[in-house]
Amino acid sequence: MSEVMDIKYAAAATFDSAKDLYDAAGKVREKGYKNWECFSPIPVHGLDAQMGYPRSKVPRFTLAGGFTGFFTGMLIVWFMNEFDYPLIVGGKPYFSPIYPFPVFYELTILFAAFGTLFGMFFLNRLPQHNHPVFEHPDFGRTGDDQYMIVIEVEDPLFDDEETLSFLESVGGESVQIIREPID
Amino acid sequence: MSQDVNQSASTSSISTKLIAGAILGLSVGLIGLFQGLQSGDKAPFLGWLWGCSFWLSIAIGMLMLIMIFRVFNSRWSPVVRRQQEHALSAFPWLALCFVPLLLVAWLGKDHSGILWSWVNPESNTVEVSSVISVADDVLHQKKAGYLNLNFFTIRLIGYFAIFCGISHWLRKVSFSQDKDGDPNWTHLGTKVSAIGIPAAALALTFGAFDLFMSLEYQWFSTMYGVWFFASGMRAALAVTILVCLYLVSTGSLKGLFKQAHKYDLACLSLTFTIFWAYVSFSQYFLIYSANIPEETFWYTIREINPNTGEISGWFWVSMGLIFGHFFFPFLYLLFYRNKVDSPKLIFIVCWILAFHLLDLYWNIIPGREIVPGAFVGFEAREVFGSHLFWGIFTLIGVGCLSAWAVVRSFQSGVAEIVPIRDPRILDSINHHE
Repeated sequence: MSEVMDIKYAAAATFDSAKDLYDAAGKVREKGYKNWECFSPIPVHGLDAQMGYPRSKVPRFTLAGGFTGFFTGMLIVWFMNEFDYPLIVGGKPYFSPIYPFPVFYELTILFAAFGTLFGMFFLNRLPQHNHPVFEHPDFGRTGDDQYMIVIEVEDPLFDDEETLSFLESVGGESVQIIREPID
Repeated sequence: MSQDVNQSASTSSISTKLIAGAILGLSVGLIGLFQGLQSGDKAPFLGWLWGCSFWLSIAIGMLMLIMIFRVFNSRWSPVVRRQQEHALSAFPWLALCFVPLLLVAWLGKDHSGILWSWVNPESNTVEVSSVISVADDVLHQKKAGYLNLNFFTIRLIGYFAIFCGISHWLRKVSFSQDKDGDPNWTHLGTKVSAIGIPAAALALTFGAFDLFMSLEYQWFSTMYGVWFFASGMRAALAVTILVCLYLVSTGSLKGLFKQAHKYDLACLSLTFTIFWAYVSFSQYFLIYSANIPEETFWYTIREINPNTGEISGWFWVSMGLIFGHFFFPFLYLLFYRNKVDSPKLIFIVCWILAFHLLDLYWNIIPGREIVPGAFVGFEAREVFGSHLFWGIFTLIGVGCLSAWAVVRSFQSGVAEIVPIRDPRILDSINHHE
């Protein structure tokens, strides 16, 4: 049994212009597909709205990180200066929200930045060293002069023949199935 | 045609109402000043200063925003900038509103130091709970080279000359471009702004020192000018948002002022909310840490009754500023929906304006009133008093006067609703998030 095994990953179609991609993306969204993606060499303004993307959830991680940082700072100062080892410094109270405020807000910023960075990694499922879409022979050109729509097999509406013909009907070229080889 | 007639009729009635409001408010304010001068009561003067400062801070914020947009050659701003340029027409009238205070300083004889005690070296002040004359106060002697009436008058004229001069040029540059479309106006505007930013920054900094900080001349804070700048920017952004949304609702800016403009202005509001807190807190923090009586008294009279040590009404105003002027707007403006949904945005910018008014009140009104027999020689001025009464009339009067000048500029036809020939206008109209 030396034959190459592979997994069907998605259906892909290429487009020649940003406008074609934009129009096709609208049709894909209207058709009701959920697990799909657009690839473009340039930022296409309004494409995320056209694809029906909600706003990013990263800010929630930022906010959570910020609050964590703020209260961590408070806890550090309270624990060290009021609870564990009370020490008078500069005639100030053991604990007060005023003199250590720089600590609170530095930690707020630090943890908010961590929240943002790692939240983004988490939501994007990074790090990811390989991606099945790289198997497409024209994928490299989506960094140059080609646009691409990829509809994943996981999508509930996915159907081998129907999805391929749908991609052709919205103006896609070189429509094909992407397969991910496994050793 | 009939619509035009209706519109011009309604705008002239707005102008009439504003003029009436200005005359009413300023007359009552002036009566207050006159009475105060007769009886030696400082309250109407503080009220007058408070009422003027609110509108002045907004105009200064507008001026700074326009110049910042210009030096950064920002693409999204021209649609917004035009509305702010109209607001600059209030400056000469605001200058006029400060004339009564200057006249009293020059012609008030015994009461010339009624508002700024250092104006009259004969007037009394407090040093370590004993009453002395200003001339005997070493803290005044050391500052007399700066805090004297001649130099003060020259400076005050200088500040308003800077504000009015830059405003004149910014308006001329922008409005002339509407007519001939020459891109050189944009270059000139950038140059005016590049010179104007440091000039206006110095004017507003020293203006805040002279008008507000010198009320208690013993006290000093190098942060004070930055505080005034930050406050003015917040207020100006709030008014800009309100004006733009109003013009969208009347149809003038419909389709031109987009969600992305709203979002960016709201983001700037958030930025300056944080900046205001940073500056205000830093000022407090440094004085708190250093703990020098010369500086701390300024905060003490805003927290406690200096004679009894009990918490005073100002404590609650101070807390109100921390939570109402920073924490609430900060947390509120973090959320995207609150920045782009007009009713939610209108709510928070009105909130910010209200607290900005309170912030100025908190900065201007509290002071030490010499009371013979008091434990520390003085009493801290109360939160509520006739200063509030007179202040509200001045606030309305100066507000109506400024609004009248701005409405007149809008209606004069001196400029299009947006700068149609600005090289950046298409970028601005097509602005998106």
